[in-house]
Amino acid sequence: MRELFADAALQRLILQATAETLYMVGFSLAIALACGVPLGVFLVVTAPEHILPQPKLNAALSSVVNAGRSIPFVILLFLLMPVTKLLVGVSIGTRGAIVPLAVAAIPFVARVVESSLKEIDPGVIEAAQAMGASPAQIVFKVLLPEALPGLLLGFTLTAINLVGYSAMAGAIGGGGLGDIAIRYGYQRFRDDVLFETVIILIALVQATQSFGNWLARRAAKDQRRLSA
Amino acid sequence: MVEVKHLTKVYTTPTGKVTALADVSFSVAKGEIFGVMGLSGAGKSTLIRCLNFLERPTSGEVWIEGKNLATLDRRELARARQGIGMIFQHFNLLKLRTVAQNVAFPLEIVGERPEAIRARVRELLDLVGLADKANAYPHQLSGGQKQRVGIARALACRPRLLLSDEATSALDPETTQSILALLKEINRNLGVTIILITHELAVIRAVCDRVAVLEGGRLVEVGPVAEVFSRPRALATRRLIAMSGLVPARPELASATVGVV
Repeated sequence: MRELFADAALQRLILQATAETLYMVGFSLAIALACGVPLGVFLVVTAPEHILPQPKLNAALSSVVNAGRSIPFVILLFLLMPVTKLLVGVSIGTRGAIVPLAVAAIPFVARVVESSLKEIDPGVIEAAQAMGASPAQIVFKVLLPEALPGLLLGFTLTAINLVGYSAMAGAIGGGGLGDIAIRYGYQRFRDDVLFETVIILIALVQATQSFGNWLARRAAKDQRRLSA
Repeated sequence: MVEVKHLTKVYTTPTGKVTALADVSFSVAKGEIFGVMGLSGAGKSTLIRCLNFLERPTSGEVWIEGKNLATLDRRELARARQGIGMIFQHFNLLKLRTVAQNVAFPLEIVGERPEAIRARVRELLDLVGLADKANAYPHQLSGGQKQRVGIARALACRPRLLLSDEATSALDPETTQSILALLKEINRNLGVTIILITHELAVIRAVCDRVAVLEGGRLVEVGPVAEVFSRPRALATRRLIAMSGLVPARPELASATVGVV
């Protein structure tokens, strides 16, 4: 067992790293949702034939989102350092990692929102328009509530991706489980640390997914619509 | 009540301009049930969508209760739409709202108080015979029940005009009869003017006072139902009658169907 699980000092380190991972993922997810959801809604409603068509603006915004999604995260980490410094005062460490994590997740969330909202039957939107609903009423009373189960699953996916991305934050001294796994587990040949961090990461992802599924099923009302 | 003057709708598509409606004019009196009949592609859907400006006409005018819709700003148009109910072929209910919440939806849009909404919803569900389904979700209902929810929702804001877009086309004949009976009852008891579009001649015969026939975006015939069906003037009308099988097809009608059936 000594081989498999790390000693007390390392246990404290792993515990702290878990807290750091949760801190990075939690904050960056909150920021990504706060920015990504409005962006996704905007991408949907400004599309041609939708409730506020702005084809040119829509195409421009869509390419910005695509550009954001195509930059590899490790590169984004370093690319954003000056911006991070400006926003949170530091460009490294756990706090410094939140900015690039959030920035990487915003376009992802925007696309998740976009694809969920596009699933909504255009007939339902037309019915709301026929009742005299304003664009804002359509967004808040039709689009978002009707897409909620899909949105919740998409946000779960985002959270899980962020757990994965946060492992790379070690590259800028971000800490967290990924950092510990590389520095102690891999570089110092501590298989016990590597093993334990991986177990914790798996458990984190599983718990997140189960929680997300549960939320989505509750939101769907109809149990048959979501079997995941 | 409703006056349509020289209504034209042209769509610009990548392959060129398509005229969906060409110079359509007619008027509908208060309390009337007015049917618009035509084959698919005749322009029925475009026409009914122009009546509440879900589609903006390319030219021509739509007057509802003395108001020219084209002159209204966004807010005024929204208010005008609140006075026009609409029901749809595929019901278009909100999946994640219960029956009662669906009926409440238009009342929430106009900012009605919650207590008033509850009372009005109960009233409407009684009217359409779904009081026991208030807490059911749309997927738990039959097609006919869904359309009843659609009708209750359309009537929520006490409209003077109801637009029906192929409302019975997704229903079986028996359910169609019960929905048509409900529409007739609403027309008679609440004085709601109804404009319905359909490709089913039987629907027109069952409920309409007058009928207009559309073909290729043009209005080829308008008149009282009995008159149009007993002495159809336009070729398109004769085709529709012959195809419906409701009237024994006379030889000259049968010949008119050649190339269509």
